[in-house]
Amino acid sequence: MKEQYYKSLDDLIYDARQAAEEVDSGDRKSILQMKKESRSEATSRRDFLKLFGFTIASAAIATSCQQPVQKAIPFLIQPEKIIPGEASYFASTYFDGNDYCSVLVKVRDGRPIKIEGNALSPVTRGGTNARTQASVLGLYDNKRHKNPKFKGKKISWEDGDQQILEALAEIKAKEGKLVLLTGTIISPSTNAVIQEFLAAHPGAEHIQYDVISASGMLQANEQSYGKAFIPSYDFSKADLIVSFDADFLGSWLSPIEYTKQYSERRKLVDGQRSMSRHLHFEGGMSLTGSNADERIQIRLSQEKLVIANLYNELKKLAGEQPVNLPASPVDITKVAGELIAKKGKSLVVSGSNDLETQLLVNAINELLGNYGNTIRTDVHLKLRQAMDADMAGLVDRMEAGQVDGLILYDVNPVYDYPQGERFKTALQQVPLSIALPILGEETSEHVQYICPDHHYLEAWNDAEVKSGSYSLAQPTIRPIFKTRAAQESLLKWAGNPVDFHTYIQNYWEKNIYPQAQDGQAFIDFWNSKLHDGIFESGRKEDGLSAYNGERVPTILAQVKGLKGNDALELNLYTNVSVGTGKQANNPWLQELPDPVTKICWDNYAAVSPKLAKELELEDEQLVMINDFGPIPVVVQPGQEHRTISVALGYGRVNLGTPEGTVGKNAFPLVASENGSLRYTLKQVNLQKVEGDYQLAKTQSHHSMEGRNLVRETTLEDYLANPASGNEMREELKSHLKSLYAQRKFDGFHWGMAIDLNSCTGCNACVVACSAENNVPVVGKEQVIMAREMHWIRIDRYYKGDPDNPELVRQPVMCQHCDNAPCENVCPVAATTHSNEGVNQMAYNRCIGTRYCNNNCPYKVRRFNFFDYTGADAMPGNTIDPAEMTTDLRRLVLNPDVTVRAKGVIEKCSFCIQRIQEKKLAAKNESRQLQDGEVVPACAQSCPADAIVFGDLNNKESRISKFFDDERNYHLLEELHTLPSVGYLTKVKNKTV
Amino acid sequence: MKLKSPVLQNYGFSSRLFLFILSISIFVLSVTASAETQNPSSETDSVGAQTAVSEPDSAMVDSITNAEQSATAEVQKPKRKVDKYSHYRDDIKRGERFFRGLLPHNNKQASCTSCHNLLPSDTLNWNPSAMEIAIKYLDKDFASFQALVTEPSGGKMAEVHQGYEFEAADLKTVKAYLDDLAMRGPQPVKPTINRLLLFLFLGMIITWALLELIFFHKIKYKAIPLLIFLGVFGYQVKMIYEEGVNLGRSQGYEPDQPIKFSHKVHAGQNQIDCKYCHFTVEDSKSAGIPPADLCLNCHSVVREGTRSGKFEIAKVIDAVENNKPVEWVRIHDLPDHVFFSHAQHVNSGKLDCIECHGDVAEMDVLKQVEDLSMGWCLDCHRTKEVQFVDNKFYESYETLHEQLKSGEINKVTVDMIGGTDCMKCHY
Repeated sequence: MKEQYYKSLDDLIYDARQAAEEVDSGDRKSILQMKKESRSEATSRRDFLKLFGFTIASAAIATSCQQPVQKAIPFLIQPEKIIPGEASYFASTYFDGNDYCSVLVKVRDGRPIKIEGNALSPVTRGGTNARTQASVLGLYDNKRHKNPKFKGKKISWEDGDQQILEALAEIKAKEGKLVLLTGTIISPSTNAVIQEFLAAHPGAEHIQYDVISASGMLQANEQSYGKAFIPSYDFSKADLIVSFDADFLGSWLSPIEYTKQYSERRKLVDGQRSMSRHLHFEGGMSLTGSNADERIQIRLSQEKLVIANLYNELKKLAGEQPVNLPASPVDITKVAGELIAKKGKSLVVSGSNDLETQLLVNAINELLGNYGNTIRTDVHLKLRQAMDADMAGLVDRMEAGQVDGLILYDVNPVYDYPQGERFKTALQQVPLSIALPILGEETSEHVQYICPDHHYLEAWNDAEVKSGSYSLAQPTIRPIFKTRAAQESLLKWAGNPVDFHTYIQNYWEKNIYPQAQDGQAFIDFWNSKLHDGIFESGRKEDGLSAYNGERVPTILAQVKGLKGNDALELNLYTNVSVGTGKQANNPWLQELPDPVTKICWDNYAAVSPKLAKELELEDEQLVMINDFGPIPVVVQPGQEHRTISVALGYGRVNLGTPEGTVGKNAFPLVASENGSLRYTLKQVNLQKVEGDYQLAKTQSHHSMEGRNLVRETTLEDYLANPASGNEMREELKSHLKSLYAQRKFDGFHWGMAIDLNSCTGCNACVVACSAENNVPVVGKEQVIMAREMHWIRIDRYYKGDPDNPELVRQPVMCQHCDNAPCENVCPVAATTHSNEGVNQMAYNRCIGTRYCNNNCPYKVRRFNFFDYTGADAMPGNTIDPAEMTTDLRRLVLNPDVTVRAKGVIEKCSFCIQRIQEKKLAAKNESRQLQDGEVVPACAQSCPADAIVFGDLNNKESRISKFFDDERNYHLLEELHTLPSVGYLTKVKNKTV
Repeated sequence: MKLKSPVLQNYGFSSRLFLFILSISIFVLSVTASAETQNPSSETDSVGAQTAVSEPDSAMVDSITNAEQSATAEVQKPKRKVDKYSHYRDDIKRGERFFRGLLPHNNKQASCTSCHNLLPSDTLNWNPSAMEIAIKYLDKDFASFQALVTEPSGGKMAEVHQGYEFEAADLKTVKAYLDDLAMRGPQPVKPTINRLLLFLFLGMIITWALLELIFFHKIKYKAIPLLIFLGVFGYQVKMIYEEGVNLGRSQGYEPDQPIKFSHKVHAGQNQIDCKYCHFTVEDSKSAGIPPADLCLNCHSVVREGTRSGKFEIAKVIDAVENNKPVEWVRIHDLPDHVFFSHAQHVNSGKLDCIECHGDVAEMDVLKQVEDLSMGWCLDCHRTKEVQFVDNKFYESYETLHEQLKSGEINKVTVDMIGGTDCMKCHY
């Protein structure tokens, strides 16, 4: 039986009459909208006269004008190896306090324009995520601090330093308390700077603060192994992954690294015939949960209970004496059975910030023998080091007036600390407050001194992301504004005015160079590591004690059972686009549709269909959660019955365009329990309020009308028959006949294959594509009108029971059909087929009839309803919802790709500029183009290596092997459009 | 009183139709005008394109009129207080007259202006213009100016200025005039409006002809205004067409450059390879304009030109010393939606620079020879043979290789390997 897929709940509850009505009202809506738009354009007598005058003036210009003089200004002294018109790449490191990524920065004529993954890094291995990709736009942000400031007024660095030094001396003289509050510091050199600063100011204290805290885990490991650390997980070694609300593909600890490892074990290509199995327990629908082979709904308040039961069950299976426990709300015997069968080859993780839960998880992994196999304790992950209690203590002390000086580096607690308001008030009582921010954020509004830091692309830095895995960051552009490296500021105030470049180099010479054993001179070592961006020393951590599980029995004894099932629960999470909100002013991220709900530009309260029915909630209905809100509701299939999910990171007060309009800040809802932050609220009150709020969804206007677009099978079936789930392919092939001879391509025939089994839907490709191809940001209003411009989208479909559906995803871009329906309807031949099988788009020829758009069965063509990037000669054509037409923002544009004006169609070009670049390089070197040399932006950015690109004419190429795979199929191939994009069926490792 | 022509009314001609035609013509105009770029090579611009004159003395046409007509020199108006450099108005006037040779004096030498234009002009003149001298000597005192004129340090200038004897008072007025000139800065040049005037004039004739036809009936023969109307309207359409075609194209563009750099001297007489200065031509899409320090490879030694003396070369040295790059005027400027790579054409395509840029080695003032239109590109792409056998890259084209071997085709041109695909150049 063919299974029913649906894109949203509306699809499923299909009532013909209602549907007709909806279509009708939808039409009416859009007609009204169009009328509204056109009314303003109705021609009046005055308009006519204006136009008349304008035409006369332009006629005059046309017959007499002179071209403006263009300047060509060469370098005065040309730097070596910098070639005008050619890109240079510099290795660097992205770390924003939350995500880490080793990157290559593409610099064109002095400006960084694109971030690529650094394949040399053993941690991120060339992968990126959406936020890393988007970070380059943060460099060109109008909201950055442009000057040092004192009490809101500009001040020179010299004066500022003078005053700060005096104030610090005063604190020192009276033996006052000075606190340096930072995010987690993974930079060894910065740590040394901080130590130097603390040494210069006796009594000063360094406190770290993580927005998304892992202090429960740190404490658990301290109790289990004698040291507060996060171990190194290896998902690629696990045959069975059991995750309790750890969104390790999206936001948990080191998602890029984990996605690499995870997808590596889930590929069924290149002869690999086995894959890992992934079970996921969660309340809301997360990116990771939606990729799981089996997803089990639990309420996160019962997470500890479930884990305790699992541990108990495992103990029983391992032959130990189980204890009496309250019953688990879900059956875990099967999971336990599977786990015990995969002893040493499994991995259990939990996203909880609760010490006891993490202790139980440690006990389970210890029992399963996973330590030393899938979990390494001799290599530590350094991305979270903060203890929640430290921060809580600081706020108390600030309130009590015990803090005389506070320096804030890379933190924004007024916004993202749950008690931000309290922090803000307490901050007023601190006599000396200094912030070292990049962006104008909430906290820096309330400090005395603002000493702006460089953006990471302007600065030197280093990082030790895992024990012995070092990486370097180097400036790729001169500082745009009058900023100074935060480390330099601290050094200056510590009485050591040295530039950070020298400092970092000296630090490496003394501390890291000795770890290298290849006998290079230091300068050679430094240069080669700077070039690579990374250095692996192989250093291991020691000083861990043997496993200590003495608290586990006590915890088990205290686990409470279920008490009534009525209370609503609130689950606060970070999504893949905005994350903790640090890059909230980045329009690329704000316009990125959520991989689950496909909503952008807002956060919302996701509720289960059941709950929606009970409370008579509908999409976009406004509700209050306790006193938080009003916030619109989204009915989310797969949501646990009484769990509500709200994304953090939205609602920043002074960011966004217009300021403060993007979502609601949910950080104040984060609770505190036993001294650590809790992202789950056990009892909340949901109140319907009057009105609704329109959300920008990219979901319902790409409907593919229930055809067999995503083909799926199970591992068992696949092993029996590799073509399972894809049987229709052979049948279809026999039907497909054409009157015309199939076109042959001499030379190259470009093709792309997407392994649906690898793709997790993380959206990195969407941002990478936007950055590479100057894809405009259209803003919320336009997205609501279905005018988003992304050249690649990730469709997602639900399958099965709406209360607990399965979810599949499919990235869709232009399919570059060899029988392209768009090409033969264009009246001006603006879209044609190239000699190399690429469906081309000539923007300057396009007159905007949109026939191609209508005739494209994949709906991948995008129309520029307005000019969004400032490309148009007519200022009236421009709409700029996200300040993307300002000179500063426009610096991010890729000069090799035309910036489209109003009224033309655009779409994926297979990154033709990259194809041409590599072809030319090969030509200039008189050699054949190698397979894998051309990598489009989407494939480059993919942390799961789901996208393969290459020449179909080359039978040895990887793409040809993918196309020959029995899993390969084409989207809507029954239409005989002969797409150049292939998909490999999705294989789930589950028993039906 | 009815003012209607019975004849035209029979043909349904009304004032509405008239308005319709008028608005259509205007609309066509507006469309052509709204294209991104504007035309530099209006006729007056290319008037100055006389070939370079090698002997500086014979280049002395009426430099005053030249100066008035020439395009704006890209000289920044110095921002200084006027008082410090202020001079008596009489001195300035007198200095100007002296400079122009209008003031009778007892010297036998030619007037200053016979060698020094008042502004850099369309006609090639290797000597610095009055404006350039004025700016350079604005900050220097009179003594050094006097020394410059009467006792030049050597070289070509010493030869020309030999035996100059001027009254200090006269020179002071000249200095006063030059200071004043520098402070006032270059006068904006009014855009040439000949064609516009012609167009508007023709428009008036059309209006008259139509009024005559419809209302006045002063002329006995209706055919006369009708013919006039058709002829004039036709000419206007032709003008619009020509201007429209030329929009964004600048064949023959030959602007003044901030330094009187001669390709003829460098590439022609001194036989310097193009790639010595334009050294990224084989690696980058941009051929590269040489950085000033590259000029110094030679000009740290060669400080004086045979024709221009020291003045022009000193600009390069100044640029490096003052950390101020030379702002050349761009000549070959493709629209932004065109991707063109020099590396592709010169390195892989083995094209000679001359094929697109003309005989640069014969140009004192660089000029755009080809129109750089898409048609021109495609003509070449359709006929030019690629290095199909020599370059191993093309081994991927198996079918073409077979056809070549079997004699089916005897050469592979650019269009056969996708050279006329849109996305070869536009992406």
